[in-house]
Amino acid sequence: MDYTWHFQVVWDYRMVFVRGALVTAQITFWAVVIGLLLGLPLGLMRRSEMRLVRAPAAGFIELFRSTPALVQLVWIYYSLPILTGLQMSSVVSVSIGLGLHAAAYFAEIFRAGVNSIGRGQWDAARAIGMTYSQAMRRIVLPQAVRRMVPPFINEFASLIKLTTLGSALAVDELLHEANNLINNTYRPLEIYTVLAVAFAVLIYPIIFFSQRLEQRWQRGQ
Amino acid sequence: MISARNVRKSFGTHLVLKGIDLDVVKGEVLAIIGPSGSGKSTLLRCMNFLEEYDGGEIWFGDELVGYRKTASGRLVKDSEARVAAIRTRMGMVFQSFNLFPHMTVLENVVEGPRVVQRRKRDEVVAEAKQLLERVGLSAKEDAYPGTLSGGQQQRAAIARALAMRPDVMLFDEPTSALDPELVGEVLDVMKALAADGMTMVVVTHEMSFAREVGDRVMMMDEGNQVEIAEPATIFTNPSHPRTVEFLQRVLR
Repeated sequence: MDYTWHFQVVWDYRMVFVRGALVTAQITFWAVVIGLLLGLPLGLMRRSEMRLVRAPAAGFIELFRSTPALVQLVWIYYSLPILTGLQMSSVVSVSIGLGLHAAAYFAEIFRAGVNSIGRGQWDAARAIGMTYSQAMRRIVLPQAVRRMVPPFINEFASLIKLTTLGSALAVDELLHEANNLINNTYRPLEIYTVLAVAFAVLIYPIIFFSQRLEQRWQRGQ
Repeated sequence: MISARNVRKSFGTHLVLKGIDLDVVKGEVLAIIGPSGSGKSTLLRCMNFLEEYDGGEIWFGDELVGYRKTASGRLVKDSEARVAAIRTRMGMVFQSFNLFPHMTVLENVVEGPRVVQRRKRDEVVAEAKQLLERVGLSAKEDAYPGTLSGGQQQRAAIARALAMRPDVMLFDEPTSALDPELVGEVLDVMKALAADGMTMVVVTHEMSFAREVGDRVMMMDEGNQVEIAEPATIFTNPSHPRTVEFLQRVLR
């Protein structure tokens, strides 16, 4: 085995990675925003006692959890325009597709978090005259959110990595840029290695931050 | 102050309250005793509608709890806001304390008056500090519930309930989850409260408390109200064989 590594090539093309990382970050950002905005209400709807509220939420969540994200993206990018005439750019399609995908998982995290708060807390909140929404906002969610952070960070890390599916729709995110580079330079090992490092650089700070947050909350109680 | 009329409640097919009639008078301390599973906690929880009763009526003053009567006399479930408004006037203390773990002791006490009653912060904090002093927790204002003993947590929970300025206090086995040596400090707070004239309904296994502090004692068994009388009568001359049997078991 006398392979010679040529990382110099990667350094020459470093701006390509920066460009790709920005697109990856941008897709992730919008996917998280959409995921949170839809996921919270979906998670709460799924807890509802009314079937009419619960069933659609459950349907959405299970549909997105039980099908491959790649298929979801392809479907939104190629099939939606055929059915509705609504043609979105590939970046927008990926952001929305991953946003919906994330919403399904976030909803389950919300639901599990809220369910993990015991009945005693609800009783105590109700006993001092709180309504459902007051009890949820003041008592249950603040406690549930702390338990949601670790699974949320897991999901977040998966989501960043799922942005690589955008390469299938020719979005210029990290993987797609890397593949283009490989076609020009024929140095796949170096480029994929740096690609992995690039993802780690994006993801690790968030893991680090969440661990610090958890520690602080633990000390607070 | 609280009147129950033929109150019934079932969990599925299991009847837990089989028609309870009861009048709690202003200023009195009513102790409810009976074996576990007799429905005493359920009855207490029906009084502030944490548990929905499905037959009969519970009145708090001149308000029906949890339901309203339609023009045709049928009962329909009342709005969330009205049920919540009634609850602000009844304090409740739980077996497992149920303090809010993400708030300090002082924040726990202040929460209801601030968020539900929307009273002024300065006034509420001053009153909360007085209440904490009354239950002997002035030094623990800024502590989180998780760092307190069970007895301290329960006293904080009593202060939290009192902060709403309730007309009546409901106690659901307040000392059952406590280590024996911590029971006394909670009972002392409750005794002081009774001496101040607070109307109290206390579900308890502490027979000495029921006897000493109770104005009346109600014995329940299998969802029925077996008898209700002054403590002297219940404890020395019970009229019902179930009461005799129960007291023999617990007072041994």
